[in-house]
Amino acid sequence: MLSGIRISGYAAVSAAVIGATALSAAHYVRGAASEAGAAESPASGAADPVVLHGRFLVISHGCGGCHGPTEDGVSEPGWLAGERSPDQQFLIGPCAITPGAMPCFHTHPRNLTPDDETGLGRFTERQIFNALRYGVRPEDTPDVKITSTIPGQGNFPLHPHYLAPPMPWAAWRHMPDADLQAIAAYLKRGLKPVHNKVPESEGPPDFWADEYKNMPQIKLGSYPAPPFPTVNEREPVAKAPARH
Amino acid sequence: MQRHSPLARGARAVLFAAVIGWVWSPRLLDGSPVFVDARARSAMPASEALRQPPTLQNTSSRRGVVEVTLTAAPARLPTMPGGPPVNVYAFNGSVPGPTLEANEGDSVIIHFRNELPEPTTVHWHGLHIPASADGSPLSPIAPGKAHDYRFRLASGSAGTYWYHPHPDRRTGFQIAMGLFGGIIVHAPDDPLAAKGVADKLLILSDNRFDSNGAPAFSDPRSIQGSIDLENGREGDVLFVNGQVMPTISIRPGELQRWRIVNASAARIYRVALAGQHLIHVGSDGGLFEHPVEVPDVLVANSERVEVLVRGSGTPGERALLEDLPYDRYMPQTRPADWARARQILSLRYESDSVTQPVEIPAVLRHVPPPDTSRVRVRRTIVMSQGLIDGKRMDMHRVDIHSRLGATEIWTIQNVVGMDHPFHLHGFHFQIIDRDGVPEPFSSWKDTGNVPKHSSIRILVHFDDYPGKWMYHCHILEHEDEGMMGVLQVR
Repeated sequence: MLSGIRISGYAAVSAAVIGATALSAAHYVRGAASEAGAAESPASGAADPVVLHGRFLVISHGCGGCHGPTEDGVSEPGWLAGERSPDQQFLIGPCAITPGAMPCFHTHPRNLTPDDETGLGRFTERQIFNALRYGVRPEDTPDVKITSTIPGQGNFPLHPHYLAPPMPWAAWRHMPDADLQAIAAYLKRGLKPVHNKVPESEGPPDFWADEYKNMPQIKLGSYPAPPFPTVNEREPVAKAPARH
Repeated sequence: MQRHSPLARGARAVLFAAVIGWVWSPRLLDGSPVFVDARARSAMPASEALRQPPTLQNTSSRRGVVEVTLTAAPARLPTMPGGPPVNVYAFNGSVPGPTLEANEGDSVIIHFRNELPEPTTVHWHGLHIPASADGSPLSPIAPGKAHDYRFRLASGSAGTYWYHPHPDRRTGFQIAMGLFGGIIVHAPDDPLAAKGVADKLLILSDNRFDSNGAPAFSDPRSIQGSIDLENGREGDVLFVNGQVMPTISIRPGELQRWRIVNASAARIYRVALAGQHLIHVGSDGGLFEHPVEVPDVLVANSERVEVLVRGSGTPGERALLEDLPYDRYMPQTRPADWARARQILSLRYESDSVTQPVEIPAVLRHVPPPDTSRVRVRRTIVMSQGLIDGKRMDMHRVDIHSRLGATEIWTIQNVVGMDHPFHLHGFHFQIIDRDGVPEPFSSWKDTGNVPKHSSIRILVHFDDYPGKWMYHCHILEHEDEGMMGVLQVR
């Protein structure tokens, strides 16, 4: 698998683009979410509004950009069916710049459709919710309500198996419960299952725990987000009255 | 690639600082036990002949009754040839424990005593016996207590089995400390025994040790600890009947029957004999109908295989029985040296001749094909990492209710990227197909390996023995962490 993959010097640009996608998505204004979601699918009849809201969130957060085929390619073949060609995989690590440098991990956008064998079919909506909120792999995490982010407490696993980068769950976990539940509902109930076996993502043996703790590039912030304003923020300055 | 990035070809790449290289790799050694170099060991002269474990002595004079005494206790034994004695656990003072031998139809009484400093049980792995005698975690035996296990060996159950502790959360530890032994159930009409074929038991185990030679266990908070939780605890030293790289001698033309038991916590063996194919004649529940010639055979955790080996090599030469690479691992925790073949034992071709070479029977016994005509119940059981159907084991919960007399098809689905060997207590089953591919021949099983991202379908008939039965992954660390469910048959 390693041979034949060409790496160019543009790697860092790619990272920046993905980071930007994640951030802008997380800071999306949610006010008109439901209306917009519904408005985007006028022909969907009596569809569950929760599923439609999930659909809106999935489209607007660019899930299809990695999970296929394109950010808003809802009607295209392979919508959210995961990696279908090697050019959709990611290289994580110094090898992104210097071929052969180690460590070097290949990660693969997984199949998000509800196929029992190759997708999310065998996972509950709560497991998908937990993946989005806590970054834990659904296949490795019990189907229980998690109430803590401290390993070993509140059903948070003692050895959490985190989703591999560049999945931007650290940003998306800040979405309200109802939004994450709606995404899970859309993936489980609003999509047709597609059988597509995606290779297992590689990673360090602690499933990125140390990297999410210490690596400057993906170190986790706090959840919930710290109170406003932090050192980087300011109270909005009252707009000066217009001069005459 | 037309989206997201200007990378026109190849993978999208995400750069992390090169610092990850040194941040990450040294952590591997943090808190891990000191491993002795296994390669140095396997280079040792391998001249010791393979010994058979002692046989449990039958103290009953009654016909059809096997009555034995078995004690689990701490012992001081060397773990390595020439090594110093260290603290281990042993059945009747030996590792592996003495072999339980009996005939189909025999009534077996085992006077068991727990002299360990902790609760234990004895699980008679693969035997179709009452739930009360199963030695599951539901029936612990406290330190200092005795318990009689009583059961009758069903007709048609001749085969190779094994026994081991099965206490709640401590199975992996107690087996690693030395508690495991073989069981051979003989058939009155065994076609190979009738021809005088030499019969050898090969219990495969592996272990890892500290610098004193005592079994070493990783700190669960260390990186090695989480690797062990993931892969199961693999040892770097391979044993056959407690010996490292022993020798089996075989005469020209001689036929030997090897009963191979995988007693390792996590290592799956792909057994191959250099220079000749193996004749695969049996599995968990005894002989097949017909012998099958194979280049190698996979033995997952707790599985048994029976193979025939012919003395076909040049007299004076040796052939190695090896464990060939088999990728059962997740990429995250796959050992760096997984693709290295490991030596198990050495086969020495002797020069004395055999007067009359034994022919391999074309038919060994009758094994019916899976009969699905009476199936009324179908279930799907999902194995993910450490979980069955998204749950951890709860001894107070029943996960599956089945009717006595029912015949069921279970689809065992593995949704993660590493193999999980599925074991059902108390009942033999037949594998119908693997990922939809029909099993080429029928055999009786109690464990079926379910490779990564695949499924197997098994046919099981609950003909007898109501009660609560375990089903679980037989990677011992997974089992101890709760990758187990409870079936109630009534």
